[in-house]
Amino acid sequence: MSEQSKQQSSLLAWFDKRYPLISTWNKHVGEYYAPKNFNFWYFFGALALLVFVNQIVTGIWLTMSYKPSAAEAFNSIEYIMRDVNWGWLIRYMHSTGASAFFLVVYLHMMRGLLYGSYKEPRELVWILGMMLFLVLMAEAFMGYLLPWGQMSYWGAQVIISLFGAIPVIGPDLALWVRGDFVISDVTLNRFFALHVIALPLVLVILIFMHIVALHQVGSNNPDGVEIKKYKNDKGLPIDGIPFHPYYSVKDSMGAVFFMTLFALVIFYAPEGGGYFMEAPNFEPANPLKTPDHIAPVWYFTPFYAILRAIPDKFLGVVAMGGAIAVLFAMPWLDRCKVKSIRYRGLSFKILLTILVVSFVVLGWLGTQPATPELTKLAQIFTALYFMFFLVLPFTSVNEKTKPVPERVT
Amino acid sequence: MKQLLLILSFFMLSQSATVQAAAGYAITLESAQNNLRDQDSLKRGAILFSNYCMACHSLKYMRYNRIARNLGWDEDAIVAEMAYGQSTVVENVTTRMLPGVAMDVFGTEPPDLSLMSRLKGPDYIYSFLRGYEQDETGAWDNHLLKGTVMPNVLEGIQRHENEEEYAQAARDITNFLEYVGEPSKMERLDLGWKVIAFLLVLLLLAYLLKREYWKDIKH
Amino acid sequence: MSTEEQNDMSVNLQRRKILTGATGVVGAAGATFLAVPFVSSWQPSEKAKAAGAPVNADISQIQPGQMLTIAWRGKPVWVVRRTPRMLNGLAALDGQLRDPASQESKQPEYCQNPDRAIKGEYFVVVGICTHLGCAPLFRPAIGSPDVGADWQGGFFCPCHGSRFDLAGRVFQSVPAPTNLVIPPHHFLTEHLIRIGEGPADKGVA
Repeated sequence: MSEQSKQQSSLLAWFDKRYPLISTWNKHVGEYYAPKNFNFWYFFGALALLVFVNQIVTGIWLTMSYKPSAAEAFNSIEYIMRDVNWGWLIRYMHSTGASAFFLVVYLHMMRGLLYGSYKEPRELVWILGMMLFLVLMAEAFMGYLLPWGQMSYWGAQVIISLFGAIPVIGPDLALWVRGDFVISDVTLNRFFALHVIALPLVLVILIFMHIVALHQVGSNNPDGVEIKKYKNDKGLPIDGIPFHPYYSVKDSMGAVFFMTLFALVIFYAPEGGGYFMEAPNFEPANPLKTPDHIAPVWYFTPFYAILRAIPDKFLGVVAMGGAIAVLFAMPWLDRCKVKSIRYRGLSFKILLTILVVSFVVLGWLGTQPATPELTKLAQIFTALYFMFFLVLPFTSVNEKTKPVPERVT
Repeated sequence: MKQLLLILSFFMLSQSATVQAAAGYAITLESAQNNLRDQDSLKRGAILFSNYCMACHSLKYMRYNRIARNLGWDEDAIVAEMAYGQSTVVENVTTRMLPGVAMDVFGTEPPDLSLMSRLKGPDYIYSFLRGYEQDETGAWDNHLLKGTVMPNVLEGIQRHENEEEYAQAARDITNFLEYVGEPSKMERLDLGWKVIAFLLVLLLLAYLLKREYWKDIKH
Repeated sequence: MSTEEQNDMSVNLQRRKILTGATGVVGAAGATFLAVPFVSSWQPSEKAKAAGAPVNADISQIQPGQMLTIAWRGKPVWVVRRTPRMLNGLAALDGQLRDPASQESKQPEYCQNPDRAIKGEYFVVVGICTHLGCAPLFRPAIGSPDVGADWQGGFFCPCHGSRFDLAGRVFQSVPAPTNLVIPPHHFLTEHLIRIGEGPADKGVA
């Protein structure tokens, strides 16, 4: 061993005696055995972490120049875009990152639905993931108020007034959230605090728990077979491979590919055709003038469409909340013993297709004005969306599944 | 994968400028066909802006020295030609109108135009400048903003120049305002392909590395 | 295993090392490129540079022996209209000064002269004591009471007693280590001094 590496390993030894560095590395990276058959759908967890780091770093930098007051917020963003060296790039990385975060997370959740990753013993991984999704939505919602543009203001106005629809406690709750009688400087300042530090801390804790919970039971795979069932004489799963170097190298490749697409958007289409940065937001918030169409950013539109589809204000809120809440229950709604869609019955494949199509169509509907025809359409697809969750407990019990292989394919 | 393609196709559809700008108006807009790389057009647009717009409208997020740097304009010249020497080169472009006067005269505040191009799109600005019509009484109105109190500022050019020069003047102003909306746009486009080229090189290496290690894994 | 297989394996390891190295190097380069915008964003923004831009001082009203204070980059800059007597008295003080030839102190090359100025009559200096940053007092009169009977005129810092002559040069045996700083400046006209910009450069000081 060279002198340098001897010094390094003795430094490492000193540290490791006092902190479980090497054992943690081994347990979670170096000797964490993951199934060898991960496919395209398995990139998105690592990508979500990458985007999270992007949001934190660019977010910290933006906080250095952003002013969280109603009087200065809008101006401070133009200051970042024009006067701060490279401010425009940091801003676009953050705004594109927000959209990328949801795209990656939706695909990550889709993987869970495809391969039954929410099933026993991974129910807690799924629950923690759903909690992450909820917190992420809150984080994005608060972040969007910060530019204090027309859409920031009115989007927040609409959503907070939804709280007001809750019977009995509604109006007081909305007042309490706003800290004022209308959305104002007070609301902006507190949303800033929540967006910049409170919710990110919650996200960090939940991400940590999500990964620990996953590692506790081991990763699922596209065949839905448990690799821990067959171990070699060293006690290692024969269909497993250590995360490092195989998945560190594969995820690095995936990360670079993602970064290339990310760069394409940042440099060539940061506004995302008006979907990542909505045009009305290039005008400062005006409490006296409502924009023609108030639409949330694209990642909220499916749920917004569900909200608008229900004619009753309170029931619309219930439906919207229910659309998310029902996802928490997946481990118990799906009673099929087979995990992966590869071996499941036709009923599940049809139901899942309907769910996904409904979600995308509702997403598009959420961007459109609520005409009578489109509302009717939204009602149909809302029904189809919920149908998945209502019907699944019954169809999943007696699914005509294919034989599940013993080993991964 | 399916969702990815669906999302990408929605995104591509809405890139068309007329769709974007006309959303909510159901009015077709004339395409501005301006070229942000045409520095002469941008400079003409800046001067036209100074002569026809700055009396009421400010560009409060834009500094003279930034315009000078991006348009290849001497710092003393720009202050002389755009601000008639009434500003220093490091300051923001403000309107010559004193506060409160606009409200008295017009009943409304002329909006700052720094971000108008990002808000409504260059086609809107181009169509708006050319969108004035006179009714039987001789009063001017704009078909894109009915009831506007903004006068037909390019009337003089329309009357005294030919159709092409009038269109070009409107185009130059639009071009300048699109630049003002996002001054770093050209920088962004010029850096973009270099970043992507670099990432593609890194991607190739990362792929080769992955493939090399994964030879170990028998499937 | 056979020697052939062994050779294949070592070639493999070589290839892995090379690829890992190459990817690592390019990746590190990428990380460095990525860091540039973040580090660079800490440099003064256009707004900060604008606030720190050169300022013009109208000196037409200054009487001989009088001082004008101008703000530049948040600092006080003094313009003192020195009389011939003041200028003539400078050389005699050389023996009492720490750095009479201004070798250690900060001034533009066009002020590296006995008067420490472009035109001897107008002295432009940053009014911040080089000790710990207080603003010294202007004491042009000979024998000013709070400085002493031998005082030939100059600047006296009340915080810790540092003394400077009428060319801003620091005396020996005082806490301040160097002469007062001369900012870049030039004469736009006979009565207008532009502070923050030298005569040659039209750029940032």
